[in-house]
Amino acid sequence: MHRITKIISYIALIILILSFNFFLPRVMPGDPLSFLTGNPTMDMPIVLDEEMRAKLLTYYGLDKPLQQQFYDYMLGILHGDLGWSIYFGAPVSEIVIGGLKWTLLLVGTATAIYMALGILLGAISAWNRGGKRDVELLTFVLSISSFPSFFLGMLFIILLGVNLSFFPISGAQTPFAEYSTPFEAAWDTFRHLLLPAMTLVIAHIGGIYLLMRNSMLNVIGEDYILTARAKGLSERYIMHKHAMKNALLPIITMIALRAGFMISGTIFVETVFAYPGVGRLLYDAVTYRDYPLLQGAFLIITLVIITANFVADMTYAHLDPRVKHE
Amino acid sequence: MSLLKITSLKTWFPTRDGIVKAVNAVDLEIGDKEKLGLIGETGSGKTILGMTIIRLLQPSTKIEGEIWYKGKDLLKLCEEEMRKIRGKKIAMILQNPTTSLNPVLKIGDQIAEAIQLHQGLNKKEAKEKAIEMLEAVRIPSPEKMANEYPHEFSGGMKERAMIAMALACDPSLIIADEPTKGLDVTIKMQIIKLMKEVTARKSMLFITHDLGAAAEICDNIAVMYAGELVEYAKTEDIFKNPMHPYTQGFLNSLPRMGLKPIRGMSPSLIDLPNGCRFHPRCDHAEEICKNRHPEMAEIEKGHHVRCFLYT
Amino acid sequence: MNRNLIAFLKEYRNSMPGLIGLGIMVFFIVPAIFAPCITPYDPHQMYKPLEHPNTNHLLGTNDIGQDILSELIYGSRVSLFIAFFVSIVSAIIGTALGMLSGYFERVGFFIMRIVDAFLAIPRLPLIIVIAAFLRPSIWNLIFIFVLFGWPFTARIIRSEVLSLRNRPYVDAARMLGAHDFYILGRHILPNVVPLIIVQLIIEARHVILAESGLSFLGLGDPTAKSWGMILHYAFEYPTIFISEIWKWWMLPPGLCITFTILSLTFISYSLEELINPRLRGVTRV
Repeated sequence: MHRITKIISYIALIILILSFNFFLPRVMPGDPLSFLTGNPTMDMPIVLDEEMRAKLLTYYGLDKPLQQQFYDYMLGILHGDLGWSIYFGAPVSEIVIGGLKWTLLLVGTATAIYMALGILLGAISAWNRGGKRDVELLTFVLSISSFPSFFLGMLFIILLGVNLSFFPISGAQTPFAEYSTPFEAAWDTFRHLLLPAMTLVIAHIGGIYLLMRNSMLNVIGEDYILTARAKGLSERYIMHKHAMKNALLPIITMIALRAGFMISGTIFVETVFAYPGVGRLLYDAVTYRDYPLLQGAFLIITLVIITANFVADMTYAHLDPRVKHE
Repeated sequence: MSLLKITSLKTWFPTRDGIVKAVNAVDLEIGDKEKLGLIGETGSGKTILGMTIIRLLQPSTKIEGEIWYKGKDLLKLCEEEMRKIRGKKIAMILQNPTTSLNPVLKIGDQIAEAIQLHQGLNKKEAKEKAIEMLEAVRIPSPEKMANEYPHEFSGGMKERAMIAMALACDPSLIIADEPTKGLDVTIKMQIIKLMKEVTARKSMLFITHDLGAAAEICDNIAVMYAGELVEYAKTEDIFKNPMHPYTQGFLNSLPRMGLKPIRGMSPSLIDLPNGCRFHPRCDHAEEICKNRHPEMAEIEKGHHVRCFLYT
Repeated sequence: MNRNLIAFLKEYRNSMPGLIGLGIMVFFIVPAIFAPCITPYDPHQMYKPLEHPNTNHLLGTNDIGQDILSELIYGSRVSLFIAFFVSIVSAIIGTALGMLSGYFERVGFFIMRIVDAFLAIPRLPLIIVIAAFLRPSIWNLIFIFVLFGWPFTARIIRSEVLSLRNRPYVDAARMLGAHDFYILGRHILPNVVPLIIVQLIIEARHVILAESGLSFLGLGDPTAKSWGMILHYAFEYPTIFISEIWKWWMLPPGLCITFTILSLTFISYSLEELINPRLRGVTRV
């Protein structure tokens, strides 16, 4: 029963987002036409004569009644029609899907790394609570997570990218590169991933670290840890076998939220490193006021984040033996 | 020949509000195959005493005195050596089985891990032994139950599982902390009967506030109040001839004796009363009780009391 | 109530990161307040562009000749003002709605549905999109941040109120005839204040990060440049990564943002430690 309500609320959420996307250009101050056709700046209204204007209105369906427009819009979405990008001169859906694969690669890599690192460091910190290691880790992690990701990226470019040729400073692959083997391609991609991934990891590790530390501290205070000690088990064994599993349970739901933040954070990192993912597309859309692209990129980013949340929601129930048996 | 000999044990906790003197100069002996009951109300320090023996307290705790076990002072051992003793030679059954069992691990695994560690068996053998232990504590369908999680077990079954965990490596001393707390009367009796059987050839420190349970199992009883022992005697003597006013009050507070409570409240372990710790609540208190602290003395054969009524 | 406050301040004095955080914040707030008195030049005035730091311009000038140091100091005004204004307004709205929804069941149900919707939608992309549709101005930004800021506070305040609602003194007050708003104001609100303050700091931290990010992308107010906006123009300058100019154009605003966030992180961490005793014991002085 619970599952079905959850699924329904997610679907409702998606419909909400799609509707929002629909109404936004029609509700904002300004000429909806300029939002749909793309306009370099809003301060200069398009100077159109009446005939031209009427033609464009018909073309974009803006002269139809609102319900009809909404229906057409939803239908279009289901067919993958997200409009036409002015800046790129191509269908938005094509461009966005193209960028999506790079974003997923980057975010996937960074997530794997920062999860593992954050969880490990959080556990170590909690286990050594109050001790030197804990205080040092705490100070270090809190400090570096105060760097905004775009600033960090820029620093990395200047300090590492410019001086050391090992780290390329832009793009996902070397432009115009010809690869003789797939391994070469993979290596080139990997090199380009390094700095952006590192930036993402450092910018986001603070969150997971603190969550894990808190969760672990809660677990350490529990009676069953005392029981484990009473059996003569070693500290290390207790931390791994008894504490970790319990401490990780509440983290799982957090992972989804964190994934959301990371995908959002990717917008900045991709911009700084000129990495061709959806985040970068969003930036381009903002810079050039390419509204169809902006909305398309926004939609995809949001949908991906919501999907991640949904998946995590469903897996949490699976992992906790207490919840499973309900 | 005593298996465990405790001399002048002090366990103090420094806290922000002051020093909590949970255990004050306790002397105790447990012989081979002897079952000693440790009776007291909540806050008397009895659980802390048990945890001090097995050294499960925080490193910041101040512990003084000696705990002699098979020729070694447990308080002088390093953590590694102590770990070899925990579970294997001395096992403790902690209070409250619901929170003392790890909810995400199977019961069988929780029993088997100690066996694997202390007895060097491999995973399969340890698991089999764990099932044997579950059988020994009379849990039905032990093979099936070993693969279940704690929340599948009832209160009484969880307590049995805790007992099985303690017995798994065949320790010579078991410290049982309130094993019958919170259980139904019928289940209580079953647990008591079970414990009598399985600890027949072992020594046990039976910590409880349930005098009835202690009467069934224990050879001797020590009464604890405000961190120190106030009376010690054979079980039957405690019931036939309770000497210390606190013991008498305790007996009177039993349901079958009339449920008469002892007046007053248990003392704060930070701010202990001067002189005899019990004097504010004692009907027989004299001037001397307020000023001087009585010592433990053997009044009759095998019957010790800490009270100015007798010394 | 006063006694609690004094005890609280005493405790805070013992917390090392809290003090450091507070110190850094003071370091930034003071120049922000006294900006007109201490800035050497008008930040909009243009002089010789791309000057290296010298006695006239301590941090040099940007690509259109504006003095960077003056920009920086006025930028602190913008960034800090937005952060604190937003967090205070969000706190007020969030607390009000949180208390109402925690105390009154039916109202609570509706408000919480709205909060859930807000919380489920990823914040940053939404903010970017809306900001892109509006004119780039401070008040638009503030409006957007407040709009998406209050749900967090509301949810937290609500759960606290739910538990406080059942306390004995509330029942006692009700039996004495006190009506609901009196109880809310007199009994519940004071207990919720520490939580509000922590949330305020946390929200301010989010806003600084979000605002500088948005400005970096180009959505900030070009007439009132925040630190993020300074970084935006620096980033857009073609040879920023290759020449030396990043040292005084990019580094100072970036560091200002970083240290401000750092100070808020430390302050909120200390406050949380004080409120939740279980996390204590790490940073006692």
